[in-house]
Amino acid sequence: MLPVALSHYLVVAALLLVLGVFGIFLNRKNVIIMLMSVELILLAANLNLVAFSAVLQDLVGQVFVMFTLTVAAAEAAIGLAIVVIYFRNRGSIQVEDVNLMKG
Amino acid sequence: MMNWSLAVPELVLACCGMAILLFGALMKRRETFHLASMLTIGAFLITAMLVIAGPHGLAYHGQFVADSFSGFVKLLVLAGSAFAVVASLDYNEHENLRRFEFPVLILFATVGMMLMASAVNLMTLYVGLELQSLSIYVLAAFARDQLRSSEAGLKYFVLGALASGLLLYGISLIYGFTGSMQFDQLARVLADPARVSPGLIVGIVFLVAGLAFKVSAVPFHMWTPDVYEGAPTPVTLLMGTSPKVAAMALLVRAMATPFGHLLGQWQQLIVLVSIASMLLGALAAIGQRNIKRLMAYSSIGHMGYVLIGLAAGTPAGIRGVLLYLVTYVFMSAGTFACILAMRRRGVMLEQIADLGGLGRRDPVLAMWLTVFMFSMAGIPPFSGFWAKYFIFTAAVQSGLWALAVIGVLTSVIGAYYYIRIIKVMYFDEPQEAFDPRPPSLSLLAAGSGLFTTLFFVFPAPFVGAAETAAKVLFG
Amino acid sequence: MIAALAFYVFAGILLLSAAMVVSARNPVHSVLFLILAFFNAAGLFLLAGAEFLAMILVIVYVGAVAVLFLFVVMMLDIDFAELRGGFQRYLPVGLAVGLVLLIELGIVLGGWKLAPDAAALRFAPNLAGAHNTAQLGRLIYTDYILLFQAAGLVLLVAMIGAIVLTLRERHSALRQDITAQQSRSVRQTMELIDMPIGAGIGGSGTTGIRRPAAPAPAPAAAPAHADHGGH
Repeated sequence: MLPVALSHYLVVAALLLVLGVFGIFLNRKNVIIMLMSVELILLAANLNLVAFSAVLQDLVGQVFVMFTLTVAAAEAAIGLAIVVIYFRNRGSIQVEDVNLMKG
Repeated sequence: MMNWSLAVPELVLACCGMAILLFGALMKRRETFHLASMLTIGAFLITAMLVIAGPHGLAYHGQFVADSFSGFVKLLVLAGSAFAVVASLDYNEHENLRRFEFPVLILFATVGMMLMASAVNLMTLYVGLELQSLSIYVLAAFARDQLRSSEAGLKYFVLGALASGLLLYGISLIYGFTGSMQFDQLARVLADPARVSPGLIVGIVFLVAGLAFKVSAVPFHMWTPDVYEGAPTPVTLLMGTSPKVAAMALLVRAMATPFGHLLGQWQQLIVLVSIASMLLGALAAIGQRNIKRLMAYSSIGHMGYVLIGLAAGTPAGIRGVLLYLVTYVFMSAGTFACILAMRRRGVMLEQIADLGGLGRRDPVLAMWLTVFMFSMAGIPPFSGFWAKYFIFTAAVQSGLWALAVIGVLTSVIGAYYYIRIIKVMYFDEPQEAFDPRPPSLSLLAAGSGLFTTLFFVFPAPFVGAAETAAKVLFG
Repeated sequence: MIAALAFYVFAGILLLSAAMVVSARNPVHSVLFLILAFFNAAGLFLLAGAEFLAMILVIVYVGAVAVLFLFVVMMLDIDFAELRGGFQRYLPVGLAVGLVLLIELGIVLGGWKLAPDAAALRFAPNLAGAHNTAQLGRLIYTDYILLFQAAGLVLLVAMIGAIVLTLRERHSALRQDITAQQSRSVRQTMELIDMPIGAGIGGSGTTGIRRPAAPAPAPAAAPAHADHGGH
């Protein structure tokens, strides 16, 4: 069903996951890039699910990807709304200078 | 067999939520907040009755289950959410958060938590978890003109989204390496040890990590103190009660049912997380001056104790988990009711020092807070003691001596800072009196206080129900 | 063969653009690379036989999510140069974390093999001859109806959340209240006043609309009418 061996798909997804995690660790200051990194992580999981679904000849994986796409879109909307109000209150989107609360 | 009627409580609650939303959107008047809150509490009551009366069984092609475990958890979740709505009545009025969306979001979060309690499929698990999380992200940032609140929302959101992304990746691995998302099929497949592959184990680790974030267990606890402090206090109450219950129930069901045969693989993981949480909860709380942060560390510690029951991996352990969660919801809600009453000349106070001399200024409030602190410290005869008792005996029965001993030691350390609060209230310099308490908070504090105090008189129905619920998972 | 080649092209561009998303200097570029990444992921979906999802990915992600990101990036007035500061500092830690994760996943994923009884476990096997979209549609509206509804609730919550957090009602803004316009009667709008001939309306001091058919003004004062309609 897949044009290449499944492991190729899994490796691409794993690399994508690592890039996403990497992006969150690296861009500690820019929340918008962090949100995009989260999108990459979700994309990695979706790629996994689609590949497994194709190999197992089972549509459940694809159905699940539909739901995760829905959830990811909702997550992006809420995340950006929170970023906007944070920016309105603070005048910047740096997470690192979150100094109000320490502990 | 499509037995849709098993999900009637969720469906009714969701429809009530949409009706309240429409009502709030169509009414132009300002005072929709109170009415919407009352309607939400009414919806919770109706749903609780439906949960109690509802039939048991498997529905929606094995994606949804209604059994005594899910019923127990749902009732607890509904109670926690209702407490949060009651607590918000006065707070939101004062802090200018009078918006009908507040109770509606709590309601939708509760629908998500009920789905989590009934999830017997990885997909239901994920969708329920996200419905709950997304509502709570918004609630944490609800005081949108306050920097603290929006910052709490942002932190919670970024870390929460990362956690749920990893959880989703874990689910995809579990699906790929076993070929199914259904809990019962996973259990059947994994009964054969040859089928356990490293990929599956990694998937389980990701799943546990995602859920550990939701119950704020170490090492995924970093968000807890900041978010607890920054979020509006009724939202903190909510975060401290029902989502923790739902996520813990989900973790318990996921570990006990599909991966029950792999106990040896995940037991070590849970033991480590549990020890780390108990230690951090006890040690980091000592230096805190802000009572909301203190409650955050306290909740981390309590989750550590709850995980002991899971690590035991026996029906007795799960019974302990459920009983602990019951007592924890009431203690926690009561304590936050007391914190919400800390208001002087219209300004909310959060420092422990502000409680100075409360014993003379407001003996009733001081008494209830004392009850909750004693109970959290695990001092008999309050409910917290019995919860710890059930957990520790289960651990000892399963041979987890070390875990039980560490648990007892950390509760002794923890008792120090709970008792410090009592000392501040009764022996420190009296401060100016608080504003008069609104009846809603008095009711919440007194109700939870009575439950916490008198639990030892009538534990039988709770123990019985928890026992039945725990047996379901091992049936 | 061509399909395999296509896979490598899509996968390569996907990974490159994902790397650019997390490392680009300008967030607008990041968003554009994110869009490129989504297009290529859609290509990979297509190669795996998930046609409907590939289209959904393009429509929902590129059409909505990425544009939302772009909108927010441009709406917020951010000093982006300043935001790059920590990049070098975190690079070693980030690289180490990424490498460890990658090696672990590589070891783990190499061990995949088709489970012997996977065919029996399938809940919704692919049907030969049926269209991918049709099959998915049949599943989500029947077997997965509960989750479909729950996903709808998720979207509702997102909508409520976005409105609650960002909508500011300006009380100074002039709004059209259609219900009020429709439901008012002539009586509230217009007022008939008996004017004594030669009395005029001067000195009444009200702001309401007066029937213009009043007789020619005269210096005498008319009784004041303060109780006009809701103007």
